[in-house]
Amino acid sequence: MTKLMTFITLLSTAVADTLSSAYSDRWQGVQDPEHGNVIMQTMASNGLIFVVLGVSLIIWFVLITYLFRLEKKLDNLEQKQ
Amino acid sequence: MTAVLIAGFLIRVPEIPILYETSRNLFFHVPMWFTMSVVFAAGLVFSIRYLMNSSMRMDALAESATMIGILFGLCGLLTGSLWARFTWGTWWTFAEPKMNLSAMALMIYVAYFILRSAFDDPEKRAKIAAVYNVFAATTVPFLLYIVPRQLPSLHPGADGNPAFSDLTAPELRLVFYPAVIGFIGLAAWITQLRYRYVMLKMRTERESASTIS
Repeated sequence: MTKLMTFITLLSTAVADTLSSAYSDRWQGVQDPEHGNVIMQTMASNGLIFVVLGVSLIIWFVLITYLFRLEKKLDNLEQKQ
Repeated sequence: MTAVLIAGFLIRVPEIPILYETSRNLFFHVPMWFTMSVVFAAGLVFSIRYLMNSSMRMDALAESATMIGILFGLCGLLTGSLWARFTWGTWWTFAEPKMNLSAMALMIYVAYFILRSAFDDPEKRAKIAAVYNVFAATTVPFLLYIVPRQLPSLHPGADGNPAFSDLTAPELRLVFYPAVIGFIGLAAWITQLRYRYVMLKMRTERESASTIS
């Protein structure tokens, strides 16, 4: 029973610790992108220009996906008529 | 829009530490939120007009505008998250009021569609959805503009400052304002497409109902 209690206390402090570090003023939750995998390294290269590309691609794909879905709905409607 | 995309990548931007080339994101990420606010505001106007004259056209317009607003809000959240990963070092942080409150505003609008799906009677659905939309739209300025400005944050436009501050150079505005106008135009076009779809669906449903009976 005491073992369980210690375990729970340890666990809760661990959780609290991750929370406090996430809420800290440092803002850097994780390591620098430069030390990540290949994709992260590429993204961080060339003055972060690939981030701009990624942002424009996100907008493009969200909008185009929506338009395709709308078109599919229109197709269904046409077949009903 | 095409000109904005080209210029957004090609013009010379002043070098700002931390941001580097990502200051170009100003032309893509920020207009998303501007567009979302404009489209939600349009939805509010349509909802009020529905409550005034109970025409199903206004309901269809309000519903379409809200849908497109959510679409652009989603774009804003995703692009903001990507941008934050490479400038702040994290995809998402709960210490950032603007992030969380804008996500909350989107949730409120997602609830608008859940509420709509709860009613089978189109008249009743339209009326309750319009009332809810008036409530939802009033929360947006507080969640997105007023409250985040009172709180300390890394996001520009916090801590009592306007968003255009020392971070932004005047030449960025030359591309920024056309970008805002372009995206709002794009949103208006997509809204109109959805509105036409909703009206068409309404008409076919009415026709099929009359042929069955």
